[in-house]
Amino acid sequence: MAKRRKRRRGKSRKKTAQRRSILLRVLVILALVLAGYLVYLDYQVRHQFDGKRWSLPARVYARPLELYAGLPMTAEELSAELSALHYHPVSSPRQPGEVSRNRNVFHFISRPFVHWDGEEPSHNIRLTIANDAVQQLVDARSGRPVSLVRLDPVMVGSFYPAHNEDRVLVRLDEVPKELTSALIAVEDRGFYDHHGIAPLSILRALLANIRAGTVVQGGSTLSQQLVKNFYLSSERTLTRKLNEAVMALMLEWHYDKDEILEAYLNEVYLGQDGNRSVHGFGLASHFYFERPLAELSIEQFALLVGLVKGPSYYNPRRHPERARERRNLVLGVMAELGLVTADEAVRAKSRKLGVSRYRRTAINTFPAFLDLVRRQLRRDYREEDLTTEGLRIFTTLNPQVQWQVEQVLDARLGRLEAGRGLDAGTLQGAIVVTSIQGGEVLALAGDRNPKFAGFNRALDAVRQVGSVIKPAVYLAALEQPSRYTLASLLDDGPLTWKAPNGKTWSPRNYDLQFHDRVPLYRSLAHSYNVATARLGLDLGLPTVVSTLKRLGVEADLQPYPSLVLGAAELTPLQVTQMYQTLASGGFRTPIRAIRAVLNADRMPLQSYPLRVTAAVRPAPAYLVTTGLRHAVREGTGRSLYQVLPASMDIAGKTGTTDDLRDSWFAGYTGDRLAVVWVGRDDNQSTGLTGSTGSLLVWRDLFAHFGEQGALQSALEGIEYQRIDTATGLLGDGGCQDTVELPFIQGSAPVEMSPCAGAVSPLQRPVDWFKELFE
Amino acid sequence: MKVTANYLLPGATVLSVLLLAGCAGTSHQSPVVEQGTPAPRGSRSPAGPVSSPAQLPSVPVGQPVEPTAVTRPASPATGGQPPAVVALLDRAEQQANTGDLDAAAVTLERALRIDPRNAILWHHLATVRLAEGEAVEAEQLAAKSNSLAAGNHSLQAKNWELIAQARHYRGDPSGARAAEQRARTLGPR
Repeated sequence: MAKRRKRRRGKSRKKTAQRRSILLRVLVILALVLAGYLVYLDYQVRHQFDGKRWSLPARVYARPLELYAGLPMTAEELSAELSALHYHPVSSPRQPGEVSRNRNVFHFISRPFVHWDGEEPSHNIRLTIANDAVQQLVDARSGRPVSLVRLDPVMVGSFYPAHNEDRVLVRLDEVPKELTSALIAVEDRGFYDHHGIAPLSILRALLANIRAGTVVQGGSTLSQQLVKNFYLSSERTLTRKLNEAVMALMLEWHYDKDEILEAYLNEVYLGQDGNRSVHGFGLASHFYFERPLAELSIEQFALLVGLVKGPSYYNPRRHPERARERRNLVLGVMAELGLVTADEAVRAKSRKLGVSRYRRTAINTFPAFLDLVRRQLRRDYREEDLTTEGLRIFTTLNPQVQWQVEQVLDARLGRLEAGRGLDAGTLQGAIVVTSIQGGEVLALAGDRNPKFAGFNRALDAVRQVGSVIKPAVYLAALEQPSRYTLASLLDDGPLTWKAPNGKTWSPRNYDLQFHDRVPLYRSLAHSYNVATARLGLDLGLPTVVSTLKRLGVEADLQPYPSLVLGAAELTPLQVTQMYQTLASGGFRTPIRAIRAVLNADRMPLQSYPLRVTAAVRPAPAYLVTTGLRHAVREGTGRSLYQVLPASMDIAGKTGTTDDLRDSWFAGYTGDRLAVVWVGRDDNQSTGLTGSTGSLLVWRDLFAHFGEQGALQSALEGIEYQRIDTATGLLGDGGCQDTVELPFIQGSAPVEMSPCAGAVSPLQRPVDWFKELFE
Repeated sequence: MKVTANYLLPGATVLSVLLLAGCAGTSHQSPVVEQGTPAPRGSRSPAGPVSSPAQLPSVPVGQPVEPTAVTRPASPATGGQPPAVVALLDRAEQQANTGDLDAAAVTLERALRIDPRNAILWHHLATVRLAEGEAVEAEQLAAKSNSLAAGNHSLQAKNWELIAQARHYRGDPSGARAAEQRARTLGPR
């Protein structure tokens, strides 16, 4: 028995030891798990904080407006630009972002801005507009003339990641002291003393809330709030609370107060803009006041600080009374702590909320143009970089031109539909506008609804081009000055071409007539199909194809005879590239939508420098432009001048395809090139030719643009001669119809037309005078 | 990349500085850079395929600027160049002076947006590109300048000289000789 007991006792001792050792093991394992968990939390805290804290969408900017004496610009245009930049109208500007206007005199203080080539400081400027141009630009304080001022650019969009968070990152030293002290006063008074959690402050908050009769303060420290925002879901469980406290302690262990405060300022959720959440004070300032933080007043800081507690409950746009109460409460706390004087607080409390009217922020102001920017960027960046790296993308977009494009396209298509008895919305259109010498895209429309972000016809509508291709055929001819000049007579008589397979092709003119022998320039101006087809066949189709390629047309071009009459299918953008080369005197510049890209720290990542390639000799390009000038003076484009002033120097070409499916007009002045396409998505007939459709859109647009620089009027190696149009030989007043034409030196006819020279030399000046006044 | 180019073409760097200094306008106050100014830091005496700076003189002050192609009236006080363009030319000159050719090119592009058919601006841009070692690009830009310089034979001659240098640099001596010939026929320098 005793033995047994002994044994039993021995057994139980053994058992206890065993139990202990199990317990110990469990404890050790638990400790290890806990330690592992803490290590994991610690890793989380540091990884998130050190690593990429926020994914920042790329911001896309329009071209910055350069102001200088002589710049063509109306007072309304300048006003519109400043309004798009959220410059605030005041009676007397005192800080950046404010403007006063007295009729044609503007006084504004520009915002400093880091452009791709450096910082432009703030300027205090008085500017006078007269005769639709900037007349005078002076420093408002010294009165001294200023040669050039560059404004900050309008932000036209952002590339957002899927989760739609947005921020305007601020550095702590950029944030006004008033804001941080108010924030700390209201949200976490002990911020600079505690180690992440503050049991006392919870108590203090409780007391303060009791005293105020409402919830004035929360008990969580800023660190806890940050952790909550940063790493955790919003569920309210004890575990989460515990995690939050532990991570807050860790955060404080690893980072100093300023780092935590800065992160908080950029992280805190402050509102909702559609499906985009507004994070951080930087963006909130723009969202509620349309100003950067640095420009806010004391009561505006107070409002933002008040919002931390409940951006939706205190939404100043939806619940202005609640927001005002909350703001004034914050102002009261600030006065209590001596952050503002009692007087200041009283005055601030009496002020309006000052919140701007809600406008959906410019995520997608110009979707068609942004689409082009995105495509050009994709050559150099991954999609992920565009939505997370905070790139700053400087584009070529000119908002003034873009607004005009949008306004004109839909209005004109509506009128065209009404005029043809078409259902509203039947017609669609696309427009590309570029600068002549730089090849920069100033504006783009891919749909008549400018907010439509789907099918982008300017880039993706591959349509038959019709006669807009003809200048390439004439260029190919004029590149051989020994064979062809603008005065060469072309045969516009009946033509039948036999294909090797026995099929025949007999092109016809639009007016169904044949015109016998016509000077080359006139055949282009009137867009004669038969003469052009014969010319193209004489030159050889491969020659025409290679000319098109040199002009920059990147498309699969089949060398069929119908190619020379525009059987090729191109997008409006491709047509633009072709005309770009012609318009800039034969120098091909790849059409650009982007000037430069900076990273989030405003360091240059990439620039897109101006590149030119001499693709066509300047002289033949000059001759083609002359032909296209005749096209709008006397040919298919002449209805332009029913509206546009005769002083506007234009070269342009219409294009119409079979069954009137596509209506094109491509035209340029000395400053701008615009290509317009009008058609139907179902590819049915529009009932419109180039001149009754797209040309009118183009005309409306250039009527808005106002005065334009002239086309190039002289070129080395070009000489002018008066030509008798009937014979293509030298003519004078004795001939029925003469025209002054440019020739590549040595290529002009030397023979006088029979009609010339019959008039006595004495009479000639009289005729010359008569012509002057006709 | 640009560093290498500068290293290869120290002479051209100096040259662009001189050119910009000489061409920036007539009456505006710009820091005068005299011929023979010490080269910017890091540059050495002319070397490589580019001929010496002396062979590429600046556009004479007071030279009428592309008289036929100017589209807007320019202020007479600045010798044909709008003041905004003169200001930018000044800046480009300073940037070239400190060896920042990339920045000078960006500034010249900015000036070209204001005055796109100013043949002198295109010429300067060509000069900067050549100094950066971008000979192909420089030649194209000089040709562009020429296409806008009707009547200005002196500028045309300079563009042909620049083209000759670019061709030398690319290892095309016969092309270079042809360009030099064109420059000579365009008259006195």
